[in-house]
Amino acid sequence: MSEHAITRRSFLAKSALGAAAVAGSGYIGFEAWKQAHADETGSLQRAGHSLCNSCSSKCGFTAYTRDGRLSTMIGDPDHPYCDGTLCARGYGYASIAYSEDRLTDPLKKNDAGEFEAISWDQAYAEIAEKIQSIIGSDGPQSLILINDPRPSGSYYTKRFMNALGSANVYTHGVSCNMSKNSGMTQALGAADFTSDVANAKMVMFLGRSYCDGIRPSSVHALQKAHENGCHVVMVDPRYNNSMHFADEWIPIRPGTDLALILAMAHVLVKNDTYDHDYVANYTVGFEDWAARLEEYDPAWASEITGIPAETIERLANEMWEAAPQSSIEQGWRAAFGCAHQNSGETARALCLFNTLLGCWGLEGGAYFPASASAGKLEDPKFAAPAAPKEKIIGAAEYPVSSSGMGVSTYALSLIPEGKVKGVIFYQSNCVAGYSNPAQLHDFVAGAELSVAIDVQMTETCQACQYVLPDTSYLERLEVPEFVGGTVPVVSLRDRVLEKVHPNTKPVDEIFSELAEACGVGEYFQFTVDELADAQLKTVGCSLEELREEGTHTFPEKQLKYALKTSWGTTDKKVHFTSEACEKAGFPASPGWLEPKVTPGSGEFRLIGGKQAIHTHTQTANIPALMEITKKYGLERIWMNAQVAEEMGIKDGDEVELSSETHTGVTRVHVTNRIEPTSIYLPSHYGCSVEDQHTAYGVGLRQMDFVPFHIEPGYGGTMSQETLVTVKKVGA
Amino acid sequence: MTRYGMLINTKKCIGCYACRTACQRQNGLEADIDFIRYEEIERGTFPVVGLEMVPLQCMHCEDAPCAKVCPTGATYVTDEGIVRVHEERCIGCKYCMAACPYQVRVHNPRTGVVDKCRFCTVNASEDNPMCSCVEACVTGARMFGDLDDPESEVSRAIVELDAHPIMGDLTKAKLFYVR
Repeated sequence: MSEHAITRRSFLAKSALGAAAVAGSGYIGFEAWKQAHADETGSLQRAGHSLCNSCSSKCGFTAYTRDGRLSTMIGDPDHPYCDGTLCARGYGYASIAYSEDRLTDPLKKNDAGEFEAISWDQAYAEIAEKIQSIIGSDGPQSLILINDPRPSGSYYTKRFMNALGSANVYTHGVSCNMSKNSGMTQALGAADFTSDVANAKMVMFLGRSYCDGIRPSSVHALQKAHENGCHVVMVDPRYNNSMHFADEWIPIRPGTDLALILAMAHVLVKNDTYDHDYVANYTVGFEDWAARLEEYDPAWASEITGIPAETIERLANEMWEAAPQSSIEQGWRAAFGCAHQNSGETARALCLFNTLLGCWGLEGGAYFPASASAGKLEDPKFAAPAAPKEKIIGAAEYPVSSSGMGVSTYALSLIPEGKVKGVIFYQSNCVAGYSNPAQLHDFVAGAELSVAIDVQMTETCQACQYVLPDTSYLERLEVPEFVGGTVPVVSLRDRVLEKVHPNTKPVDEIFSELAEACGVGEYFQFTVDELADAQLKTVGCSLEELREEGTHTFPEKQLKYALKTSWGTTDKKVHFTSEACEKAGFPASPGWLEPKVTPGSGEFRLIGGKQAIHTHTQTANIPALMEITKKYGLERIWMNAQVAEEMGIKDGDEVELSSETHTGVTRVHVTNRIEPTSIYLPSHYGCSVEDQHTAYGVGLRQMDFVPFHIEPGYGGTMSQETLVTVKKVGA
Repeated sequence: MTRYGMLINTKKCIGCYACRTACQRQNGLEADIDFIRYEEIERGTFPVVGLEMVPLQCMHCEDAPCAKVCPTGATYVTDEGIVRVHEERCIGCKYCMAACPYQVRVHNPRTGVVDKCRFCTVNASEDNPMCSCVEACVTGARMFGDLDDPESEVSRAIVELDAHPIMGDLTKAKLFYVR
């Protein structure tokens, strides 16, 4: 704790003055805090180690403060995701702690629809009363909770809901990697493999760009691959920023990656160039897929994807020539995480194609990261509440969806019919990002109870009755974070700044205190410090040691390359055929499935995607990041140059973008970096919350243009299943 | 003599803007004060396309036009070749902004000072960790060091990678680009 000495000294010394300036509030406001620090200059102090929160990678870094304010940040060399460097978001997003738009007090919506500050006691009492009333009338399964997983959030939200008797804990998965992970699980019994990019001879990326949705260690791996002469292929409707380290761009019509995979598999099977031993010994159902593949030749795929047949044939042959030091990279949200009607099936086919290469577990192929986790905690106070007997809502209706993520949008859609009555959000801007915002707003606003816990007012908060102010990630300790990699680690998000707004509370306190109010406080009789220390002791570490160390590695658990011969499926084999998929209405082995919509004349498919400076809608209100957007016009939509010329549209023109659900005006970036049937709208803009003074009104919001719908079977939000037209304003 | 300079390898620059936000954090700059600006150059016609990102910042010219036109001597060149600004002497006349061929002088509307890259990375060491552009670059596209030492990493890289100032001999710039 001595590392906090400087921050505490300067903060406390001045806070008495500040408190006096804000009469009656009982704490110092942001302006007073800022004034109290304005005249100080001091030396750099190491404030400690923590984990970034600007995206879900949660990179480790060491924070330095000057006069109690965050200054230099240094990426942790041992952290598997950051590998010594942070990204633009990491440095920029850290200013959230001092944002003038922070939520500072619990809020309750009054009859006029305006938020009023209330006390924590009142918030807890009223929320608990409603929770108990809903449980009394409809049972705990009519309550749902949605969170974007973070170390403490994942632990406390699940524990809280399970203590109440509800299994309905959802992640943001439906709008991220739900379809990808679910499809992969059907083939492999597991998801989230890593292509060993740095050691590969050939890697094909489908839509994912390491240099746009940045995880620094992935950028490093791609750079190393490029320097080592690896043949890197980017299959993407856009010429993305990873092209700096790639050898060829294969522009593809969005939603057709499945056709490309099927045709490449067709080539390998037809040529008899696949790993016969692997297929014979460690898989089931190959014959079914081989027979199905017969009709999917490169000429067929060329018509659908827009990729020349000879290119498809060449790529398939080159992948085989490089095998087993080759693979198709797993993607993430990108092209089939949640984008289209065929996304789950695309992921399943991708795994089966890699299986033909025999690349699993080998150096330069594709491996599953080595992992570490906390052991069982002996102290009975940490005992988990009994697991709810019922399954998460949506598991039956979307039978091949990952129940660990859950189909949150389906659960929300049950609010109007009264099957779901209460919803709690933790660090989730579901309304703006998971599906059509107007529809999601109506669902949430119709609930008997709706609560959002966040650091700033969001579209989701606005739809709720209660809003509870979270501390920023820089102001709290969290549950230790175990991270897999070639060497697994445990790392720590710790407090590196004193609380800026005294009436905010960290997530562990909020759920522990709410649990107490709900009558299930017996499961929360410990502090997060005690929990963290107990977890760390099970792996030969301690909270004190990890605070010093930041990231603790487990070299004894280092990944060893070896052919993977046992899988997480029931019979331990790779499944070319899946009974579950068949029951869900898909073919036993993956075949071609059309996207839900396909652009006709004058229409485009609207595609989204990350820019390196933003994460979804979470970072748009950060001035340091939004200034980049504004200076370089990054909120503009992209249109193919040839198409633009034909339509008389010039770079920078104002255009009207319309879909069946929404029309909006923005500027256009005319470029040769996009294929002709797509319009790209960056997924970060169009914030409709006036209280986000930096983000409000900049650009358009992708999800406004997408109808509320759900991918059959897999549960993804089908974020790219929408057609748009573009019209020059004034034309 | 020590004569500091930098190399930027645009073949490694992915246009991620990490150097900009890291610089702002390191130097305590406001969100709209950017010492680094970017030129994105797209080449070719679909589907044969090329892309180059060129980060530009104070070139620390030996023949610094901004220093020559400064009426108060606020902009000056140190013995080590770093172009600096005496904040208290700057009257905000913006002559330097007009004179700079690289358009990398930045007017701060709150202080009135026309600021710029300070080559702050010169102070980085194990005992003084910094997230300046050189340290922060995700792909290691930047190098910094003594141009007068032929054995320095940056001097050798300039030769090996055939790096040149962005506008040739125009101002005897000490930023070298690989393009």
